Amino acid sequence: MNALNLEVLDRDGAILETAEDAGATRGDLIKRAGIATVGFMAAGAMFENLLSPAAAAISTKKSAKNDVKILNYALTLEFLEAEFYKAALAANIIANAWAKDFATTVASHEADHVKLLQSVLGKAAVKKPSFDFSAALTDEKTFMATAQVLEDTGVAAYAGQGPNLSQKAVVVAALGIHSVEARHAAWIRFLNADSPAPGITDSPKRESTVLSAVADTGFIQS
Amino acid sequence: MTSLLNLAALDKSGAIEETAEAAGATRADFFKRTGIATAGLVAAGTMFDGLLSPAHAAISSKPSKANDVKILNYALTLEFLEAEFYNQAVTANALQMWQVKNFALVVAGHEGAHVRLLQSVLGNAAVKKPTFDFGDAITNEAKFVATAQILEDTGVAAYAGQGPNIFQRPVVKAALSIHSVEARHASWIRLIANQKPAPAVVDEPKTEKQVLGAVAGTGFIKG
Repeated sequence: MNALNLEVLDRDGAILETAEDAGATRGDLIKRAGIATVGFMAAGAMFENLLSPAAAAISTKKSAKNDVKILNYALTLEFLEAEFYKAALAANIIANAWAKDFATTVASHEADHVKLLQSVLGKAAVKKPSFDFSAALTDEKTFMATAQVLEDTGVAAYAGQGPNLSQKAVVVAALGIHSVEARHAAWIRFLNADSPAPGITDSPKRESTVLSAVADTGFIQS
Repeated sequence: MTSLLNLAALDKSGAIEETAEAAGATRADFFKRTGIATAGLVAAGTMFDGLLSPAHAAISSKPSKANDVKILNYALTLEFLEAEFYNQAVTANALQMWQVKNFALVVAGHEGAHVRLLQSVLGNAAVKKPTFDFGDAITNEAKFVATAQILEDTGVAAYAGQGPNIFQRPVVKAALSIHSVEARHASWIRLIANQKPAPAVVDEPKTEKQVLGAVAGTGFIKG
């Protein structure tokens, strides 16, 4: 797929540099999580660390290492979205043709965003957590309400971290995803008979705000 | 005016004000580019011609405060175009479908607010509003919908193209908060037009040259 081709995204080599920077960064992550050997870096432990507002990892000081943290934060949110839509389709609760088209298309987009971020991060990519979406997948209406919250949150999360990115190629990639999240948000809002563009501007949200909201959903098991 | 248009709220670190203060020097650059020596003679049309001509492509990929002013004026130009398009459509009052009328009304409000936001950020360095002629694109509903879709998709691609060139954090912040609203508009009008709201996995950026070439091609800008 053209959009996922690293060379297309990475004309000046900056994304590859980020990925190559992974070794050092993973070391930082291990230190932060208090784990001494790579073998013990369970996805869960890394993820709990990422989820705890007290251990908020992203700095507002720009650096290539910080870009890796931001990309892993984005990857976490994309995992959440991708798995949510996948589970929703599998749950077979969506009857409305418009809602089904939304879920099918967006499931595919979010899965591609995951692959894109994984390819950028290489070995520095966090692993996929395990999820339980059963509470949000009881019926079509709950699915659609949850999708709206997830997409609006995605928009706010990218808006919050865009200004912290250091490398131009990473900014290009992030902005390319950011507006697609906004398209999804407007789409599901339209289907929910809510205003597709509720504000003059979309307010950014900080990492700690987003991760607390995500933790509150209980969707992430480990 | 909402609190969103409050410069102080946007500009916690003072960098946007610095951009506006950098206007003197930057305005001088504009004069040089357009070959005009005194401020009194800077007609909007002349400035705009300079901005529109791909040969005069102003924005650099090297981030700097002066370049931020150029990017913001480029964004302001596109917002003027959008705001005026929707305003004139609302005033002409020829749109029939409720969905289309509602879209035009809401988005006219948003784009007008984006214009004021960028003007407040740019201060004296802001380019003036060009004059427009949208022909029957504001009265023929099918043409209006098709034009709105192109304008919004182009807006998304334009912000995506320039976001990576912005130097100052509060300017990036402001640009991103507008960028996603343009994407929401694009998705919305596409739903009304029965087109795919999110046609791609990622939205491709467009360069200043590509965008201004497309804008010039519409013939909407008269001077």
